[in-house]
Amino acid sequence: MTAVVLKSADDLEARLIDWLSRCALGDRQAFRQLYEATSPRLLGVVAQLVGRGALAEDLLQDVYVRIWKAAGQYRAGAGSPMAWMAATARYRAIDHLRSRGARPEVAISDLPLHAGSEDGDDDPTHRMPDPGPGPAQTVEARSEAEAVHGCLGTLQGSQQQSISLAYYQGLSHGEIAAHLGAPLGSVKTWVRRGLIALKACLERCGWSEARS
Amino acid sequence: MNLIPGELPDRLAAEYVLGTLTGGARRRFDALLPAHPALRHAVAAWESRLLPMALKAEAVQPDARVWRSIESQLGWTAPAAATPAPPWRLRFWQLFATVATVAAVVLGTVPRHAPTEAPMIVVLHATKGSDTLVAGLSPDRQQLTIQPLEKVSLTSDQSLELWALKKDGPPASLGVIAADKLTAINKRTLPKDTKGLAVTLEPLGGSPTGAPTGAIVFVGELTL
Repeated sequence: MTAVVLKSADDLEARLIDWLSRCALGDRQAFRQLYEATSPRLLGVVAQLVGRGALAEDLLQDVYVRIWKAAGQYRAGAGSPMAWMAATARYRAIDHLRSRGARPEVAISDLPLHAGSEDGDDDPTHRMPDPGPGPAQTVEARSEAEAVHGCLGTLQGSQQQSISLAYYQGLSHGEIAAHLGAPLGSVKTWVRRGLIALKACLERCGWSEARS
Repeated sequence: MNLIPGELPDRLAAEYVLGTLTGGARRRFDALLPAHPALRHAVAAWESRLLPMALKAEAVQPDARVWRSIESQLGWTAPAAATPAPPWRLRFWQLFATVATVAAVVLGTVPRHAPTEAPMIVVLHATKGSDTLVAGLSPDRQQLTIQPLEKVSLTSDQSLELWALKKDGPPASLGVIAADKLTAINKRTLPKDTKGLAVTLEPLGGSPTGAPTGAIVFVGELTL
């Protein structure tokens, strides 16, 4: 025995890719291993949107059936396997929220990010260009996770709040507007500009699509 | 939906991933994806960009019925025969997945001129919380030593049992270890194909069956 080892995130990623490719070949044992390794994470993702309990587990079941059936469509290099699976889980939960018109209670205090309304962007005719990041808004990030959260923090309050409500609560534009008491047009602008600013900030932090 | 090169596909992909592309627009976008690699690429890039936000959600262990339902939904009628992996192995993989990003390793400091065997120290991380156990070789290299950095709290009817996780086959017991001090184990009891060590919570005196029966509380990997 010579050395010891570091299990890195890359090892996990390689294993996920291996399992997915074996799933595409019909390997049920690989699917079971994939399920065991990832289901708590994916249930967490679903439960964040629909709440914990039997409903989240029913949706999780659909998620894995989709993953099994679509495993052949996942290609290494097309994005990280975990990103693909987590997105599959989110889409299933969001479909459910949309189809039922149901949504969980939103408590702003529970959101990871708080936003003020200091920008006064309530007017749908408001079309001022986004000022872009100032010197105080540059983000130093050592990891992609830090980069995303750091970059979210640099967005204007209403942009940040709209994106957080959409991502963490699964709200649609209309639901965000109702929740914030803001005009629909403003919410659409906040989301669109927020996403553009988020992408620009991530690129400044060195996040490149090649790593996706 | 017209596909204009440049910003629009990326914007649609972003809102698709965020979930704010809804209704008919979302369905049309879904329908376009299979035939449009550039769109799929934009979607995958946004899925990766926003992944850290998804992973902020606390992991939740699903009930065992979920797996059974998946099998039945896929029409796998004989799940016992179709899934030969024994439970310990699944736990093992699952745990590695959980600890993968945090498992750390410390290389020993024994001089390099000892050619027969390099030093070994394995840090075993708790599956919950931040406790660690350290496994290493004794100075004479004949003993595997294992020591909790902090006392592990046990009830009076529990023991900690150390297992060698092998490349193939079920884990091999290395015996019960102390929760508060160093335990030494003859290195020869360590199977040659050991790839990791795990510690489980067992009834007092160790597993009654020879196989792990309780939860894995620490796990770490080593290479040979």
